[in-house]
Amino acid sequence: MNPIQEHRQLLTRRTFLGRSGTGLGLAALSGLLGRADDTAASAAASPTGAPPRLPGLPHHAPRAKHVIYLFQNGAPTHVDLFDYKPRLQELHGKPVPEGYLGGKRFSTMTGKADGKLLLAPIEPFHRRGQSGAWVSELMPHTAGIADDLCFVKGLHTGSVNHAPGISMMLSGAEIPGRPTLGAWLTYGLGSECENLPAFVVMTSVSKGTSCGQIFYDFYWGSGFLPSRFQGVKFRGGGEPVLYLGDPAGIDRATRRAMLDDLAELNSIKLREHGDPEIATRISQYEMAFRMQASVPELADISGEPQSVLDLYGPSVREQGTFAYNCLMARRLIERGVRTVQVMHAGWDQHNSLTTELYTQCRDTDQPSAGLVADLKQRGLLDDTLVVWGGEFGRTPFIQGNLDDRKRWGRDHHPYAFTSWMAGGGVKAGLTYGETDDLGMNVVKDPVHVHDLQATILHLMGVDHERLTYRFQGRDFRLTDIHGDVVKGVIDS
Amino acid sequence: MSRNLLPQHPVAPRARNPFRAALATAISLALGFGGAAADVSREVRFSRDILPLLSDHCFACHGPDEKGRKGGLRLDTREGALGRGKSGETAVFAGQPERSELVRRITATDPDDLMPPAKSNHRLTADQIALFRRWIAEGAEWGRHWSYEPPVRPTVPQVPGEADLGPVDAFLRARLRREGLEPSPEASRSDWIRRVTLDLTGLPPTPVEVEAFRNDAAPGAHERVMDRLLASPRYGERMAWDWLEAARYADSNGYQGDSERTMWPWRDWVVDAFNRNLPYDLFTVWQLAGDRLPAPTHEQRLATGFLRNHMINGEGGRIAEENRIDYLFDQTETVATVWMGATFNCTRCHDHKYDPHTRRDYFSLLAFFDRTVVDGGGGNPQNPPNLAGPSPEQSRRAAETERALDEAARAVAALEAERFPRPDGKPASESPAAKELPRELQETLKTAPRDRDPSRIGTLASHWKSTAPAYHEALEALRGARDRRNAAAWAIPYVMVMDDGAPGRVTRMLERGNYLKPGESVPMALPAAVAGNRAVSRTNRLDLAEWLVSRDNPLTARVTVNRFWQSLFGVGLVKTSEDFGLQGERPVHPELLDWLAVEFMESGWDVKRLVRLMATSAAYRQSSRVTPTLAERDPENRLLARGPRFRMPSWMIRDTALAAAGLLSDSVGGAPVKPYQPSGVWEEATFGTKRYEQDHGESLYRRSLYVFWRRIVGPTFFFDTASRQTCTVRTPRTNVPLHALLTLNDTAYVEAARVLAARVLAAGPDDDARLDALGLSVLGRPFTKDERTVLSRGLDRHRRRFLGDPSAAAALLGVGESRVQPGNTPAEHAAWTVVSGTVLNLDEALSQE
Repeated sequence: MNPIQEHRQLLTRRTFLGRSGTGLGLAALSGLLGRADDTAASAAASPTGAPPRLPGLPHHAPRAKHVIYLFQNGAPTHVDLFDYKPRLQELHGKPVPEGYLGGKRFSTMTGKADGKLLLAPIEPFHRRGQSGAWVSELMPHTAGIADDLCFVKGLHTGSVNHAPGISMMLSGAEIPGRPTLGAWLTYGLGSECENLPAFVVMTSVSKGTSCGQIFYDFYWGSGFLPSRFQGVKFRGGGEPVLYLGDPAGIDRATRRAMLDDLAELNSIKLREHGDPEIATRISQYEMAFRMQASVPELADISGEPQSVLDLYGPSVREQGTFAYNCLMARRLIERGVRTVQVMHAGWDQHNSLTTELYTQCRDTDQPSAGLVADLKQRGLLDDTLVVWGGEFGRTPFIQGNLDDRKRWGRDHHPYAFTSWMAGGGVKAGLTYGETDDLGMNVVKDPVHVHDLQATILHLMGVDHERLTYRFQGRDFRLTDIHGDVVKGVIDS
Repeated sequence: MSRNLLPQHPVAPRARNPFRAALATAISLALGFGGAAADVSREVRFSRDILPLLSDHCFACHGPDEKGRKGGLRLDTREGALGRGKSGETAVFAGQPERSELVRRITATDPDDLMPPAKSNHRLTADQIALFRRWIAEGAEWGRHWSYEPPVRPTVPQVPGEADLGPVDAFLRARLRREGLEPSPEASRSDWIRRVTLDLTGLPPTPVEVEAFRNDAAPGAHERVMDRLLASPRYGERMAWDWLEAARYADSNGYQGDSERTMWPWRDWVVDAFNRNLPYDLFTVWQLAGDRLPAPTHEQRLATGFLRNHMINGEGGRIAEENRIDYLFDQTETVATVWMGATFNCTRCHDHKYDPHTRRDYFSLLAFFDRTVVDGGGGNPQNPPNLAGPSPEQSRRAAETERALDEAARAVAALEAERFPRPDGKPASESPAAKELPRELQETLKTAPRDRDPSRIGTLASHWKSTAPAYHEALEALRGARDRRNAAAWAIPYVMVMDDGAPGRVTRMLERGNYLKPGESVPMALPAAVAGNRAVSRTNRLDLAEWLVSRDNPLTARVTVNRFWQSLFGVGLVKTSEDFGLQGERPVHPELLDWLAVEFMESGWDVKRLVRLMATSAAYRQSSRVTPTLAERDPENRLLARGPRFRMPSWMIRDTALAAAGLLSDSVGGAPVKPYQPSGVWEEATFGTKRYEQDHGESLYRRSLYVFWRRIVGPTFFFDTASRQTCTVRTPRTNVPLHALLTLNDTAYVEAARVLAARVLAAGPDDDARLDALGLSVLGRPFTKDERTVLSRGLDRHRRRFLGDPSAAAALLGVGESRVQPGNTPAEHAAWTVVSGTVLNLDEALSQE
């Protein structure tokens, strides 16, 4: 092993043990870990600077190697899209009957929910596919792949506001500062990609959406985990990664020559000085150079056949759209990226159910379904888990005036909502869980946010109770102190 | 192989999670660092040896948290451990390990009896069990966690053969002796001056400063450099950065909307306070309770802006009281972290699992901040109470525009008296002459001229444009005066500060921190575990502030000197600078920490004196070279057998590049600036509601401290900084490819390389002299022979390329807005630009070493 590799290994382990008190137990521990897991030790020696996986992981044989989270910011309206309630039709315009709302808290826009009038789904529903899953006419393409999906209808959360709700869904806590799902996965499972980050995030919003929610960087943050585990956000316009382009007047050959000199000078320093951090620096400059090539290659979709592009819908060529990002998600996992978080804002229909909801569905329905179909036809769906959903649901009762159809809306509703999952070891063609006859509360197989997180980790080969990180004297995990794997959705 | 610092411990057999077991082992090993486990002849000390074990392995179920307690047993108090438990057994029977239930349970073979239970993933090692036995056999002495005991000045050790050592070095050297390690040789003068200049000013030394120091053979040369640096206005700017991160300072509110705020006069106050060496006790009292001092000055009230740097949530539908409570949480937790190194956030919902802090303590501390009248609603960034902080020029301008408005209003009033005759005291709209006017104009005339809305004045003016030119003109003048007055008023920054405008407010403990679930009311009180029974006399924030800096507070001085140590040495004496509780790291050099803490307090909380003590120490003057022995024995350099070396904070890297190029502006303070940033970043994050309007000229080259910090999307040209969302006293130091992309490709760095190249070209007649100048400017030293070979080869290659491609040279020289210095051939200048960029990206250039 050459000195750089040796230093590299030393540093990687040191970083991994960085929080072990004084860290002086390193020498004792490196031997110990070598015994505990020789494979991990060799992974730790990765010369590329990509994070290694932790010893002992995965905890069990994974069903999925990649996750694509199609996150729908703003809270899609479960009662208009997937959770069909004929009784809402019957009681349309009538006050919520007693017994449904006891003591529930809503946002200030609703205030007290008593006396609110129920609102029927705005478009008809049909049973779709062999599985007979209910899907609204608003989502025709999703309806078309219903047999590939597992609808989780009993989701519930504790938050009534967007940012805390999204933070809860992605990091397990309402208050920002915890590591997010993708950061945990990178921390635990490492990276299998030498030319791209292990956790990539992309965002979009439908044109003409009046009320978009902001994408905070803590939605893909690493919290108290070292920041190399945080998601790298690809931008929606221009260069996907900042500072990717060489400056004017510097061509690739000049950059290469400059980096060669830099590496040589840094190696001189390393030999003289001995700080292993210098070896890491050298490898990270090389990774940067590779990303300057790999990221544009990733973004070049000229080789995609029209038939594939058509799956994602008409806006797939437009950078920054949800469709484009779905296509990028597939290209990213093809290249070994572990977690892709695609976020789409604009689902906050307080007064736009009959207007902007249509835009939202148009912009997300076909790309989401197209992604699943594309993954399936390539055989990638078997080890890729796709999750589609938002931070909470929307009220079965109306926000706004019943007479003013143009301004119909629904308020935030944390007590029940629907997400769907596909691939990666999830049972296809399943509807799991049930809400009451108004879609107000979960009555069967409830799934809390922490349960969903535990399940995603489980499918990735991670025991959510055992992937922990010690911070401020406590072992933290994604699911806080809660969460049960939802066995019922796993394909056995 | 040299001796390892730590004993080899057996691995827990069949641990459920090898990683976690390894981590737990590492932690217990670390806690035993140089401690009892390694040395059976040393007496067992409760706070050093036993308490950490109890905390790590027992407190989760048998600790301070009453609700989480199992079997009615608590092991965090002497009474709990030594008394008879619910089961009738005594956990700890002093003097008799065999009669102690604790010993029976930790050695039990029956899995149902074994403690800690198997499912906890905790397992005591044989050595740890032996420690418990010895401790009990020796009488089960009890005590408190080390950081809650007031620091007492320890005796400075005598190190044989080292009579000249100052106290800081005596402690460190004595420890090295024990470990059988030798200190490193002194760093070269050029290394030391670069290290200390970066640490104290955040900037590199100039080549002239390096030369002067190298040639200063008289005694006291190091001290003279220190004096110069501590007197430099750059010192306060450097120190302010760390404080701004702790204070979660930003120029916007955060959350949705992310409105701008003007807290920067507070930021400038911080810089000034460091520069004039405001004693740290006053620095504390003013920021936490300046408004409660008798007849507070403007400055003392301004200082309380510290507490108001929290985020403000303007999200539609947010409940005002919920927001207000969130701000109080933030204030409480920030103060606990910054002054007490306490993780109070844990106690928001339940009693602390490890530290002796309770929910009651949390809300009693929160009560100190609860009397300020803050409206939690909306997103007004100048949410009262606030304080105007105009510059002298702004005050003058405000008064002037106010006078001009008076004049313009009088002129209009005079004309309206003629045009709209009406009884005295009635508005013009009451005049019969006004009744024929359109409704909208009548509305306008109801208001006295001075108070009319500018756009309404405009509409009124256009109505009379052709029919009454003089009146029209007077109205237009009024509108202009009104606009100018408003602009002048808006230009004055308002700083959010504290008051006690709601003295009667009752603070209640909130169940799980939920504002909808208020419980028992609590009075203001100091954290009982630390403050004992010390009562509050005035019941306002001044009680809290004065206690924090009182001589019998065990935490403030320790936590503070540790943070300064962290700034200079890269890692604190307690690495977890945010946590001095039971789960925080125990100090590597506990006696040194206490000595420094006492010295700091007894010096009158003199920060510059403290910094000087650290930076003139022999430990700080050592070479940072890593020998194979040190790499193995002490990879994190906690024993300081070598000098510190670490990658600089990203803001310092930027300032250093600008300074080396001679581009850096030395203006101090003022409104924040917006230097180069890739386009569209704010727009994308805010759906176009916030546009980044880049500044030009000098603003591009101001120090990083003055860069506008948008909270939801911070400057893209920094990394590993605090998020400025919540209090951060320790930032990560990562090494990832995106950093390389920044310093290779960002306009600021490429421009710095270009301007640096021109400087270097002017510095000498040939490549040799120019390379010397380049090395001195960036690294504070000339290049070695090997380095020159690489750089000269690169230079030739780049020259050839740019000679053959003049358009590439022109393009590179066009990067950045500063003028291209004349007199160089483009190819030569471009080639040197690439070489300068290479040097700015050297690991050494990015590091303090």
